[in-house]
Amino acid sequence: MTVGIIIGTHGESARELLKSAEMIIGKQDNVEFITFVPGENTDTLIQKFHEKLDALDTSEGVLFMVDLFGGSPYNAASQIALPKEKMDVVTGVNIPMLLETLSMRAASGFEDLRNTALTAGSDGVKSLKQSLKNVEEDDL
Amino acid sequence: MDIRLARIDDRLIHGQVATVWTKETQVERIIVCNDEVAKDEIRSTLLKQVAPPGVVSNVVDVEKGIRAYNNPKYETTPVMLLFTNPTDVLRFVEAGVPIKTVNIGGMAFREGKTQITNAVSVDATDVAAFRALNEKGIELEIRKVAADNKVMMIQLLDKEGL
Repeated sequence: MTVGIIIGTHGESARELLKSAEMIIGKQDNVEFITFVPGENTDTLIQKFHEKLDALDTSEGVLFMVDLFGGSPYNAASQIALPKEKMDVVTGVNIPMLLETLSMRAASGFEDLRNTALTAGSDGVKSLKQSLKNVEEDDL
Repeated sequence: MDIRLARIDDRLIHGQVATVWTKETQVERIIVCNDEVAKDEIRSTLLKQVAPPGVVSNVVDVEKGIRAYNNPKYETTPVMLLFTNPTDVLRFVEAGVPIKTVNIGGMAFREGKTQITNAVSVDATDVAAFRALNEKGIELEIRKVAADNKVMMIQLLDKEGL
């Protein structure tokens, strides 16, 4: 099986991030998401994460992908992941991070996949004009 | 040239191609073959810019694409050929480029086209080119990403009476 993934964000964006990623790379297995809505706290989020964990194959590990470092989804996921060996929480979840991580799961173990997530998450942030400078000319 | 994938996708290099197909096919080069796009400096520049890491992209007209195929320098290079329409694919095939299978990812709907799947619409010119490719024994499979099931273009054209 592949590393399990749970996306967790403030509001509904976790649901939509997964939908957007699946629009590009197709339906994904072993992925869940949780949303965090007004009236909930870290305890309710821990409960939500546990329900999703029950729905996943966790044998290869679980990567929590949350929006904000120090936010409630992060705090809840961290309480679950900290004592577990093959679990970690990465922050700043975005579409490039999700695409790269989801599509590398079949070929990657837990540690590799975490690095993939971190690299893709930051490398996906670019400027049009600045990155034009890196376009190499190759005429064929 | 080691043609790992010949794809028709009028969005050219975008998420599905950059993320899914480049990994799936392990290509070193993506060659976009289209006469109009090759003349359009802005689009050409942007297509070069969005090539995935480690992959070179070229934007050429159909003639130049065929010449590149025949250039011994690229004999073993694994490539993805990207087209916007089946007529250009037929030009390649008729020039002797041995394309065995064509993956059809997306052809947008516009006035005068018939929509045959949620991602693929065709007009009379497209139908004629697909029919000609089919007669040459070339597999025409509709698939957005590698994990999708192949849907055969000809069966859909037959079903629609096109």
